[in-house]
Amino acid sequence: MAFVVGINLAMALRLLGVTPKLSLPGFRKFLPFHWWAVGLIGLSGLALLLAYPAKALTNPVFYLKLAALSIGLVFTWRLHKKFLDDKEPEQPLRWGASMLACWVITIGAGRFLAYTNSVLLASRFF
Amino acid sequence: MEEILLSFSRSTGIFAFMHSPWGWPIAESIHFLGLSLLIGTVGLFDLRLLGLGQGISYQYLHRLVPFGVLGYSLNVITGTMFLSSAPDQYLYNPAFQTKMLLMAIAGINMLLFYSFANRQVQTTQADVSVTLSAKTVALVSLCCWCGVIIGGRLITYFRPPYHWCFWC
Repeated sequence: MAFVVGINLAMALRLLGVTPKLSLPGFRKFLPFHWWAVGLIGLSGLALLLAYPAKALTNPVFYLKLAALSIGLVFTWRLHKKFLDDKEPEQPLRWGASMLACWVITIGAGRFLAYTNSVLLASRFF
Repeated sequence: MEEILLSFSRSTGIFAFMHSPWGWPIAESIHFLGLSLLIGTVGLFDLRLLGLGQGISYQYLHRLVPFGVLGYSLNVITGTMFLSSAPDQYLYNPAFQTKMLLMAIAGINMLLFYSFANRQVQTTQADVSVTLSAKTVALVSLCCWCGVIIGGRLITYFRPPYHWCFWC
């Protein structure tokens, strides 16, 4: 997760104007590892969800995390496609700020998950 | 040691904040954000030194590293807040001790990089590999930070009074 968020934060910083001489499409060379890491967090996330489904599914914060994570990954996917064509986004500041917001919300919601659940086991409903 | 840390925490207001309903998760969120900044900048630079992303300038990628330092600073601040608010949960915890050891090794490794390898790396062309010593430093750095992450996650599974350290 730290690698996925980390590389996205690095790209967001670059989009926001940090180190402008650094080639943005060059990030495409790191992105295959990013997608492998996304696969890993998908698998471990699924395992955690299967272990305590009621804990996550009854918590609105879980859906906030899922939404922010999904939107963040859509941004990365669209950036990756642009990089493969050696292009950069036309509104880099907007892209950078949106990506930054998505990942900060993902992290915050992920951490708050452990403190906001009201149900632990599905057996409570039976 | 516990008393000193608790007294520091209480006198600075950290203890009250951390034991408020949202204190701990807010600090945890900032801690993870700092970690991600560190991995996204220093970790990426380490991968570049190891040969990934050929063609990307070492010099320009290195300009992201100050944000890694910012992330590290956030981690030190929030980490101190965790430690001083519940010292008994950390001081005798082997996962925490391992994490601290790996952070110390990463720190020494960073000093070695800036003492011996940085100047050469900064002048290396983007399509040329760096020296073996620079690659070794990058590999040690990556291994240490991965270990720090794992150690951090394992802290919660080694709660006292079942564990202790040999020097306590």
